[in-house]
Amino acid sequence: MKALVIVGHGSHLNEDSSLPVYEHAQRIRGTGEFDEVVESFWKEEPSMRHVLDTVESEEIYVVPAFISEGYFTQQVIPRELGLEGPVTRRGSKTVRYAGPLGTFEGMPDVILERVGDLMRGRKTSGRTALVLLGHGTDLNKNSGGVIYMNARRIRERGLYDLVEVGFLDQEPEIGAVVEGVAARNVILIPVFIAEGWHTRETIPEDLGLTGEVTLLGDKTVFYGAPVGTHPSMANLIAARARETAREEPVVRSAT
Amino acid sequence: MSEAPPEVSSLAAASREAFAAWVAASAEGRLFGQILIRRCSSGYSLRHAEDAGESNLEAHEDPRSAREIAKLTERGEYRPLKSSPNLRRGWEIRVSDSVELAVAMSYLYPAGIVHWHLHRGGRLGITNFRENATRQSGLYKRVQRLSDRGVQDAARACCEDAVCLKKTLWDVDERTPLEMRRGDGEIPCPEPCSVFISFARRVRLFEREERDETGLSVSEKEDLAALIEAAASGAGEVEFAREAEFEKPLNERRMRYRRLTLVPRLRPEE
Repeated sequence: MKALVIVGHGSHLNEDSSLPVYEHAQRIRGTGEFDEVVESFWKEEPSMRHVLDTVESEEIYVVPAFISEGYFTQQVIPRELGLEGPVTRRGSKTVRYAGPLGTFEGMPDVILERVGDLMRGRKTSGRTALVLLGHGTDLNKNSGGVIYMNARRIRERGLYDLVEVGFLDQEPEIGAVVEGVAARNVILIPVFIAEGWHTRETIPEDLGLTGEVTLLGDKTVFYGAPVGTHPSMANLIAARARETAREEPVVRSAT
Repeated sequence: MSEAPPEVSSLAAASREAFAAWVAASAEGRLFGQILIRRCSSGYSLRHAEDAGESNLEAHEDPRSAREIAKLTERGEYRPLKSSPNLRRGWEIRVSDSVELAVAMSYLYPAGIVHWHLHRGGRLGITNFRENATRQSGLYKRVQRLSDRGVQDAARACCEDAVCLKKTLWDVDERTPLEMRRGDGEIPCPEPCSVFISFARRVRLFEREERDETGLSVSEKEDLAALIEAAASGAGEVEFAREAEFEKPLNERRMRYRRLTLVPRLRPEE
């Protein structure tokens, strides 16, 4: 039997954080690709410490619902789940640990689907810029790096006049990027896993956005929902798990 | 299912079958947390224990509907800790077999039946506070410095049945047992959870504060002021902080901690 364990951050304060994990899990259950699909969280239950005990399957795929490689994917998740690397043998169970979602090759397609949803039925004239908005942090260059990587991959497709990046907690700051971008239309997509305080409050407030479409001076800003809540993220999660099956298990005696 | 499959890979299956058998063995049903589970002609029925005799309940057949039921309190507040005694009433889930029963239970009390099964067999691994704290990093690393007294008070404030229905099985460390009522329920708690660690972090911040000439710390004065403001705004107007919002004064667990650590100083004769 095969199990998929999706690990999310979760929250002690609201349901927004875990919601996409539950929704993607349900979508993946519907495909029948895995015998079990289980949710687990850092801040909610079941905790990573105990989730593997609840799984019957011997072949377990763990996919972190995180955008970038960093503190959670490299330290917290492996530590809490007791993982030894990409493949861990625990008794008769083989646990395969996938990388984060943002670096996966399918990510640009999900971002573009999010853009497609936002712009459906909307006409624009003049130059259009796609701006990917990341959280970013000066503490870890991967957090911003994954946003640049996706911008580069989308830029290579030649779909927009410009593809730019902006951040909340590192340079270039998103407000300055939106203001300075040389385009009449700005499509702003948060590369976040879930809706939350930033996507609902701080970003609209800081940029002066009033909804999906806001006129800001001579620019029209189209503000999309976070990429992580898009239904296609479920396919990305399943594909991320599938990809790890290529890794050979490390032979290790059961302890 | 005739026989449980082999040990290591099938803990989840063995737990599920043992739980279903435990439920089936009782004519009046079993209480697990706040849930009453009964065997019925079509399988199993789950409802809030206080709805035992109710007939007009919102009916569910999908075991995964338990997730929505467990998400918010009666008043619509988010429930970060499923073992808090604030499960809403007014629903019944009917499931057809032990597999569906386990799915529903996994949303009502995540990992609860596996821990229950292991504990009954004397095989549940316990992780004491100090061991758990050693693993913490980042924001939570400071819980490593929490005093033994702080752990004791935090556990009494955060984990007793009034606020969490799990039976607390872990200790400060192997030589220092928790001095608290560990709980009467069926769901074992083998290790400090993330809500406890977050609370312990707050208690560690309290511990580091200095008291001024009044004998009070800054946060204690903040809490007293907030309580006075709240009470002065009139009965029924008091708005408590959310369940795990420990940085706010009017949080239930934070107030329980003050009852243990501040009230005896305010009323020394009692």
